[in-house]
Amino acid sequence: MSQNRWLATGNFFTSYKQEQRTFFTHLDRTIFTCFLVLLFGWPLVFEISNKYMLVLDNILIAIVAVMGLNLLLGFAGLISIGHAAFVGIGAYTVASFSQVIGENHVIITHFWPVLIVCAGIMGAIFGAFVGLPALRLKHLYLAIATLSFQMIFEWFIQFMSFFNQGQTIYVGRVHWFTGMVGRSDHYLFWYYIILFIVVILGFGVRNLLKTKYGRCLVAVRDNDRAADAMGMNPGLTKVYAFALAGFFAGVAGALHAYLYRGVGFESFTLHASVGYLAMAIVGGLGTLNGIFWGPVAIKFLDIQVEQFSEFVGHYLTYAPNVATALKPLSFGLVIVLFLMYEPRGIANWWRIVKSYSKLWPFRY
Amino acid sequence: MKSKATLFFNAFLVIMFVFAFTLPASAGKTYKLGMSLAITGPTSDAGNPYAKGAEDWFKFVNETDYLGDGDKIDCPIRDDQYKNDTTKRFFEEFLDDGILIFLSYATGGNLALKRDFEEVQIPVIPASYHEGLIVDANYTFMPVATYSENAVGLAEYVVEKHKGTDTPQVAFFIHPSAFGRGPLEDTRKAIAEGLKIDIVEVVEHGTDLDNTAMLQRLQSKGVQYVICHTVQTPVATMLTDAQRLGVSAASFGEKGKLTFLGAHYTGGSDLIALAGTATEGYIWADSYNLTSEKNEKAKKQLELAERYGRDDKAANSHNYAAGILAAQIATEAIKETKKAGLKINRENIYKTMQALNFNSFAAAGPVTYSPTERIGVDVMNIYVAKDGVFKKIQAFESQYIQKVRAGR
Repeated sequence: MSQNRWLATGNFFTSYKQEQRTFFTHLDRTIFTCFLVLLFGWPLVFEISNKYMLVLDNILIAIVAVMGLNLLLGFAGLISIGHAAFVGIGAYTVASFSQVIGENHVIITHFWPVLIVCAGIMGAIFGAFVGLPALRLKHLYLAIATLSFQMIFEWFIQFMSFFNQGQTIYVGRVHWFTGMVGRSDHYLFWYYIILFIVVILGFGVRNLLKTKYGRCLVAVRDNDRAADAMGMNPGLTKVYAFALAGFFAGVAGALHAYLYRGVGFESFTLHASVGYLAMAIVGGLGTLNGIFWGPVAIKFLDIQVEQFSEFVGHYLTYAPNVATALKPLSFGLVIVLFLMYEPRGIANWWRIVKSYSKLWPFRY
Repeated sequence: MKSKATLFFNAFLVIMFVFAFTLPASAGKTYKLGMSLAITGPTSDAGNPYAKGAEDWFKFVNETDYLGDGDKIDCPIRDDQYKNDTTKRFFEEFLDDGILIFLSYATGGNLALKRDFEEVQIPVIPASYHEGLIVDANYTFMPVATYSENAVGLAEYVVEKHKGTDTPQVAFFIHPSAFGRGPLEDTRKAIAEGLKIDIVEVVEHGTDLDNTAMLQRLQSKGVQYVICHTVQTPVATMLTDAQRLGVSAASFGEKGKLTFLGAHYTGGSDLIALAGTATEGYIWADSYNLTSEKNEKAKKQLELAERYGRDDKAANSHNYAAGILAAQIATEAIKETKKAGLKINRENIYKTMQALNFNSFAAAGPVTYSPTERIGVDVMNIYVAKDGVFKKIQAFESQYIQKVRAGR
């Protein structure tokens, strides 16, 4: 380890323990702490409309979901096209409670942290179950298996009267120490809760990747037979990768249910799964900070294209379906361009910026 | 000193002169509304003309000083592309802008926001006529008869017109979703209340391009009537196949053949454009006045469309009429609130809407609401496709739907 704990200029680890550090320098830790303070503090200074709070909350939920997908796809190398279904499992876990005990039951309104964890566990159980084919299947075949799960999920929800045949199942307003969280504080409250969960899970993923379980994921991705020869259990690793992804997705689903105060089938379709996949790719597969960049980029792109197509539609009244074409076109184009020119995603740009800043102005 | 004062005075006069010519003669108030619907994406075939209808009516209101005193309506129309999450975002944006009435669209979006409507206490005029939107809801004002009313009404019409002493054998052809299943459930409840039909089969269509097997199966089961509650495209496919197989009834209830009937979103000029001559004889229940009726009401609709340069497709669409009616309900609510000398806010508009009563050129009957009644136009017109257009047979009001509602 470098003597100067503020400005490390290379890897001078003298023990494995040093390499296990979350922050290599004090500067890293300070910058991260300032960033966190900023994230938690800005709503106290600036007043922002519900519309934008809803967008921010949505981005944070997508980050939670993409964390799981990135673990599965980026770190374990297992493709999943049914991630929205796992998110749906989490959401419908909360909805099931609502159906059985009522939307305003104390378990829904007061014990919501427990329900969020339950939703995650349910997602993990389904994830592990869907991951079983991964023991035998790889690549495209595994993709088809997960796609089947997505289809089964959609069919199941749409035909089960218990799930209201896909129509909205309502979830009551939650309570905090100060009482019921009313409409005026709803989005801000969930901003803090989801941000807190993102930070906890983010650290969880970072630490996981430093453990033998995390290294197993990467080893199985790179070569499962070699991993097997090294004494790892590739089958178990694949199943727990799916379970982990399911857990993150389940938590995201429960947060979605509480944020929207209801669960409807339309939010968990194949289209949403493709959206999560796009976020993971654009952000940067197999990177930790890509988990954050992807959802931010895709969600903002979505809103910008929406505004642009409305602007275009306003002037090109003879082409009313221009917006229909613009949105999927821009969405597809971004993914294709990233795959062609920056397969490592936005995370790579971040890496370049960081490398540059380490050398600037004259460091070596 | 004196010249300086003169200079200032002259400058003041010039400024006043400029202001006198630049300011409008009477700057009235502007009332904010908000509309979110699918102008593009799924169901935009209905949403697009709907948006045009609402837009044209609001333009007309503002240009003709319909509200009086130079008051205007500002109603931004946003394209949610049939996504509930986007509808929710737009709704929050509209609330931030302080809208008085929300003009919404899809069944799913309305159901997702139902609790919000009640909490915010904002009057809502939806484009979806799903019965569930007005159950346990105070602020949703349905413009016309619900889908359930259409389906139960058509079943009653079948009973009324069926020749013979046997019970009419009916099949339902529905959308594979709660939108399609809801009216079927209400028809089953009507049967439990004494409506004399037998539902022999329920077909939840997929995206089939050929219905031969299904139509032959229905015939083999002795089905005589097929009531459709879905969108136009699958109905057009079915009607085309029925024509090809020669199983379409030449007259209502012809023995050994199939008579097709359908609710609001299954018919209209778009269905004729899709299915052509196969549409002939199709019975359609709808609460809007059609331009093919060539009456005074239709003339007004066409005039409005012409005024704003709409093409024939939009001008003749019943969805264009639906958009006009939704905008008219909002306009009349503001006008009546103003007339009553009340402050224009959500609370007073809600009160006014509960007693709103007016005639619209877009609707088949008068729009009437009351503190207990949340459906504007109760009457339905029964239309039949003949010579390439839908022609009115009679006005119809479902009797059994009241029993179904009472049983809830």
